[in-house]
Amino acid sequence: MASHVGLVPPTPAPYKDNEPKAAEKIDYLNLPCPIPYEEIHREALMSLKPELFEGMRFDFTKGLNQKFSLSHSVFMGPMEVPSQATETIKIPTAHYEFGANFLDPKLMLFGRILTDGRLNARMKCDLTDNLSLKANAQLTNEPHMSHGMVNFDYKGKDFRTQFQLGNGALFGASYIQSVTPHLSLGSEVFWAGQHRKSGIGLAARYNNDKMVATGQVASTGMVALSYVQKVSEKVSLASDFMYNYMSRDVTASFGYDYILRQCRLRGKIDSNGCTAAFLEERLNMGLNFILSAEIDHWKKDYKFGFGLTVGE
Amino acid sequence: MASQSRKGGKNRSGEEGVLARVTSTITQSSIVQRGKVVASDAAFVTKKLLKSTGKAAWIAGTTFLILVVPLIIEMDREQQMNELEMQQASLLGTPSVAPQK
Repeated sequence: MASHVGLVPPTPAPYKDNEPKAAEKIDYLNLPCPIPYEEIHREALMSLKPELFEGMRFDFTKGLNQKFSLSHSVFMGPMEVPSQATETIKIPTAHYEFGANFLDPKLMLFGRILTDGRLNARMKCDLTDNLSLKANAQLTNEPHMSHGMVNFDYKGKDFRTQFQLGNGALFGASYIQSVTPHLSLGSEVFWAGQHRKSGIGLAARYNNDKMVATGQVASTGMVALSYVQKVSEKVSLASDFMYNYMSRDVTASFGYDYILRQCRLRGKIDSNGCTAAFLEERLNMGLNFILSAEIDHWKKDYKFGFGLTVGE
Repeated sequence: MASQSRKGGKNRSGEEGVLARVTSTITQSSIVQRGKVVASDAAFVTKKLLKSTGKAAWIAGTTFLILVVPLIIEMDREQQMNELEMQQASLLGTPSVAPQK
């Protein structure tokens, strides 16, 4: 395969004739680096699971420096409280969240604190070119509800591995490898000491210019398949199928994602009788207006929210 | 009519008159009974059908409102903006930018 590249003649016209032939021969020594294992469903998640919310949301981000920025955020609306009864209980809450971000090519720090005492912190540090360290922590006032996790990622030429440590004796490792320029396969194992559970999972991702198909199986009983087709530059359609063979739970959903110049509109419909839409509209430079709607026909639960995002 | 009343008056043995006899025969005939049962069934089914059509129409209507109406509005705005741009490009004499698909 390396010798074939050497046979290409230097004149431009014959080079063009040989180029499609060179594209067909796969150079197995030069495969692209795959997507990280936890982001394998990335396109489907972006299209099918927008951040739906209920109530009013206001976010303000102010950059003090090229690397440092502060953010203020207000949220007022009903929050769902999990209850044993089939009816969901909604309690109106309001909170203010203050956050600070520090962005460097090698180091990224991210912190948020809410008025009800919850602290959220994330860190990503590139120790060397290939090794990076990620950590995140969520601290709360309630005892035994705080948790933290540390990840070590190693990026090879055409593979990625990750090792994960969490509190409560949580260990995890994952490995993903590019097998052809379009296909990558990966697997993961985890062990949760607190719940005495362990599991193994496998995933595959087929990538094309126009479509992405992924499949994932885990020993916790979850089978997830997804397919995203990019119909044009502005439009993409996504579908997702999730099956839990332990609890016999099946969910299928279809959605669209329109990225136009002034707005981004995502809509989805579910097999649980749930339809949702999420619209982000750019009113002005740095000013975004957000509308979110979710209708659950089965449980007769209707959620509508609006918000404003100011800042880059 | 006089003959009928005379006929009716003639039957004094406790039997009903001819008119009453005829109507009772008609109403107690099996065809009429069947007809009544069928009509009540049809009314029941129609009521259920209307209700379920109403429910289906409501679900379809609200789903259309959430999924399709914002899309139509946004696509319309995009088209208007494109037209405005092409118009401006042709007015100002600048070489028109290839329309973004």
